[in-house]
Amino acid sequence: MTRLSIKSIWARKVRAFATSLAVILGVAFIAGSYVLTDTIFAAFDEIFSESLQGTSVVITAQNPVKQESGEVPTIPASYLAKVNGVKGVKEAAGAIFTPGGFFNEENKAIGTKFAPKFISSTLPKGLESLTYVDGRRPRGPGEASLDKAAAESAGLGIGDTLKIIGAGKVEPFKLVGLTQLGHASFGGASIAQVTLPVAQQLTHKRGQFDQISVAADEGVSEQTLKRRIEKVLPLSARVETATEKANRSSEEIKENLGFLQTILLVFGYVAVLVGAFIIFNTFSITVAQRISEFGVLRTLGASRRQILGSVLLEAGVIGLIGAIVGLAGGYVVAVGLRALFAAIGADLPTTSPVLEARTVVVAFLVAFIVTALSALIPAVRSTRVPPIAALHAFRPAPSRRRRIVLRVLAGLLAVVGIAFVVAGLAGGGGIGTRAARIGGGGLAVVVAVSLFSPVLVRPLADLAGRPLEWVRRLTGRLARENAKRNPGRTATTAAALMIALALVTFITVFASGLKASVAKVIDENFAGGLVIENSDGFSPIPAGAALAAAKVPGVKSVASIRTAEAKLVGPGSTVKVNGPTPNIEEGVDIEWVKGGPEKLRHLRDDEAIVSDDFANEHNLEVGDSFELLSQSEVHSKLRVAGEFESKLGVFGDVLVTQAVMADAFRQTKDTTDFVILEPGANAEKVQAVLTLGAERSFPTAEVLNQGELREEREKQIDSVVSLFYVLLGLAVFISLVGVTNTLGLSIYERTRELGMLRAIGMSRRQVRTMIRYEAVITALIGAILGLVIGVVFAALIAQPLKQEGFTLSYPVGTLIGILVLAGLLGVLAAIIPARRASRLDVLESLQYE
Amino acid sequence: MVVAEGLTKVYGSGEAEVVALDGVSTAFERDRFTAIMGPSGSGKSTLMHILAGLDTPSAGTVTLDGVDITHLDDGELTKLRRDKLGFVFQFFNLLPVLTAEENLVLPLSIAGRKPDQEWVDQLIRTVGLEDRRTHRPAELSGGQQQRVAVARALVSKPAVVFADEPTGNLDSKASADVLDLLRRAVDEFRQTVVMVTHDPVAAAHADRLITLRDGKIVQDGAPGGADDVIELLKQLD
Ligand SMILES: Nc1ncnc2c1ncn2[C@@H]1O[C@H](COP(=O)(O)OP(=O)(O)OP(=O)(O)O)[C@@H](O)[C@H]1O
Ligand SMILES: [Mg+2]
Repeated sequence: MTRLSIKSIWARKVRAFATSLAVILGVAFIAGSYVLTDTIFAAFDEIFSESLQGTSVVITAQNPVKQESGEVPTIPASYLAKVNGVKGVKEAAGAIFTPGGFFNEENKAIGTKFAPKFISSTLPKGLESLTYVDGRRPRGPGEASLDKAAAESAGLGIGDTLKIIGAGKVEPFKLVGLTQLGHASFGGASIAQVTLPVAQQLTHKRGQFDQISVAADEGVSEQTLKRRIEKVLPLSARVETATEKANRSSEEIKENLGFLQTILLVFGYVAVLVGAFIIFNTFSITVAQRISEFGVLRTLGASRRQILGSVLLEAGVIGLIGAIVGLAGGYVVAVGLRALFAAIGADLPTTSPVLEARTVVVAFLVAFIVTALSALIPAVRSTRVPPIAALHAFRPAPSRRRRIVLRVLAGLLAVVGIAFVVAGLAGGGGIGTRAARIGGGGLAVVVAVSLFSPVLVRPLADLAGRPLEWVRRLTGRLARENAKRNPGRTATTAAALMIALALVTFITVFASGLKASVAKVIDENFAGGLVIENSDGFSPIPAGAALAAAKVPGVKSVASIRTAEAKLVGPGSTVKVNGPTPNIEEGVDIEWVKGGPEKLRHLRDDEAIVSDDFANEHNLEVGDSFELLSQSEVHSKLRVAGEFESKLGVFGDVLVTQAVMADAFRQTKDTTDFVILEPGANAEKVQAVLTLGAERSFPTAEVLNQGELREEREKQIDSVVSLFYVLLGLAVFISLVGVTNTLGLSIYERTRELGMLRAIGMSRRQVRTMIRYEAVITALIGAILGLVIGVVFAALIAQPLKQEGFTLSYPVGTLIGILVLAGLLGVLAAIIPARRASRLDVLESLQYE
Repeated sequence: MVVAEGLTKVYGSGEAEVVALDGVSTAFERDRFTAIMGPSGSGKSTLMHILAGLDTPSAGTVTLDGVDITHLDDGELTKLRRDKLGFVFQFFNLLPVLTAEENLVLPLSIAGRKPDQEWVDQLIRTVGLEDRRTHRPAELSGGQQQRVAVARALVSKPAVVFADEPTGNLDSKASADVLDLLRRAVDEFRQTVVMVTHDPVAAAHADRLITLRDGKIVQDGAPGGADDVIELLKQLD
């Protein structure tokens, strides 16, 4: 029996491979996501441990509140003397390692937009981890080195000018050396080294260090030295062994980039789900086609168990192929994903590919579970074949009762799914549980719709097929009828595409809503003026930019806001704090709930203005006090002086003075500068002057008018959306493989019919058209269902966001585009089966049994 | 007018060589009903397939209304099937997704021609399915389905209708109906019909009977009654 099953798979090896493809692609994507992220993490691990070569103990500041900007607090330089006094310290040195920006002579940025660029200081030889592959270390002012990869990609060599910007104006340096760190690639990140005083001056960290690196005397262990140093330093200093520091950095990176793995895996599992539909369908069809074969086996004495076993064995083989080929494909996917991220400006560090045992286990589990589950129902169906089927053309029609049970089940599932989505939306629980509820509910609804879809196939096939009939009467008609012939089969095939397109639609509608909301915020808040911000859209810019801008003729004033994250003492939640200049209302419209512009203009250092949401959530009234903990461990007690309406975008929850921003939060850089023009000033001219100035002195900054600002934001949304589109492309592709596969199997069933059509005068072209239209109709059914689900979900999820200023907008053009695209994809999926059908030999087909 | 000249068909080569047709020459005149009989494996189907342009001979030619059809490409063959040929098969005659009437006019729809409604009505009346027009094949009996298939073969008024064992799957009553229909097609609509059959009763409906054996024509003449045919076959054995 086993031999027979294997023979039967071998006899249909092309089919088996096509079926496996549905598993292979999903598994490859999941494996690829793991390989990619594991490799990135391994690269970071390498970088971290390399960068601590020769170091035994590292001293940094405690960092109780993580900043979105990635900035970390400094430690006073005075610690160094204390550390040097500790017994067992061979050598200790303070260092700077701070994000900045690098430019060439012509002010062209070096490195990709979102990649981190670090300004670092030289260390004494014994503690230095960078190796100089060319030139020498910088020795004094005006000298810098750059990592070799960045220099090469920017076309810079020794002796060229490298411009570096830290917290002040950009400054030119002579490139005197090229460096390298270990063997891992930084990806798009780059690192420039200058002497310590220069680094401190560039980053405005005079008298401060980002860290102190310590080398131990011979025979003194890391742990011992750490304990001794801890004794001489205050608690605000974090003393770690090199190993601990490397581990913590890795953990932090994993935490920060963990979302990447999660997102990729979500797309991977979507692809697997789509694949499951395909496998289910293929097995259902092949089982139906082999009914007389099973009947013969049964008359020859095969038991039900044996028949079940033979079908499941076939599923097992497909699972095995899926796991093995999928794992191998994972490497390709990892490379592709890396390139994809690099393309949108996120060039991540890399090293030789990492295949964890976990990846292998997951690949095998997913492949086997998915194939086994998908094949189970068809396999069980195969056991119901009575021996008599060998003689008669036996078609086990689904009984009426089963149909009703299925529909009730679908209805229940839909209700439960919607309940979960609503529960998820209504809130309660962390973002994770909410997302899980919405996601799980969505999945239930999708499965419910696909269970129900056989009923929808007829009307939808008519809807999608009628227009085709106007173009090609008979072939259109036949295609429509053929699509309806086996509603279950068409429904499952379409459902696979439905899932993929529902997500595409959801993302499209949601992104369009996001863009509309952002546009609304910008239109309502930044009336008329110009805005200066970092060209990456989120990093802060030097405060000097605002001062310089204020001096430009035609500029009336410049308002700015600064940003930091703090912890609310008590609840412990993270709060986004902004420090606006008193004149901020000249640039931004604030809707007041309590208090007014006067309050803000004369805000005292012990006062704060809070958002109405924040006030409600924490039961704060005007006059009440609350306490914030800053990143540098400063506690600030603040009294509520007013409330403003929460709005998407500009402000966080708490507004304080810029003095508090500087003292407590150590934030002296601006997030956004609002340039207010003199009445009658030529905005274009002012913008040109400002842009020129920014290029020369603050090249990380960008001057935007209202329209450009909106475009910039829309572009950011678009780039994320296109990334999602590409990731969903895989699921779409798998569902197309499904369309091809189903059509191929149907054609095989209809061989004799096709022969007859050819015999009575149908041309090859007509056969192709007929098959192609059938695929188009199937694809359109999936697209229509997907569009409806996607739009409904977007509308549902937008509901609770409405009060936060989210406006939904339906990109009708794009949605129609998706429909048209689905039709075209159907044409694509039909190429192979249509060709095969049209090439059938008429006589052979007529005699086909 | 279909003319076959020196038709030979050889399958395989060497040891496995099978000569299915061995220099068959004959002609089928207009408005005649010809039956082809012969033992199993004698080459009946092969002959008919070659005559109908579904298969190509190893040697010899077939001309239909003066045109050699043995060397046509697929496009020309398609056109030939639309304009000149009608088929009736033993199994699987109709498209399950279309109604009886749609099946009937299918050759015209495929060719993109408008059916002459009067002609279609006449055909439907002739096959006796006036009240079954909108029924799907699954709702028709085997005999009714085959009658639709015969009407379908006639609808484009082809030069010749080929039928391979059209009654092979029917009981005697249904067979009689179908044969009667083919007879009337010749008599009333002046069609040319060539039919392969195993059934002496069926053969007796024809104007002419050709008997094949080992790929050669061994008898050619009027069939007479069914008993005569049986007698004839016995003699040939
Ligand atoms: N494709 C083929 N390959 C090899 N031999 C073939 C092929 N088709 C037919 N033959 C052989 O050619 C001979 C004639 O076959 P054909 O089908 O014409 O017989 P027939 O008279 O129609 O028989 P039956 O009454 O059983 O239908 C037979 O010996 C058959 O085995
Ligand atoms: Mg035959």
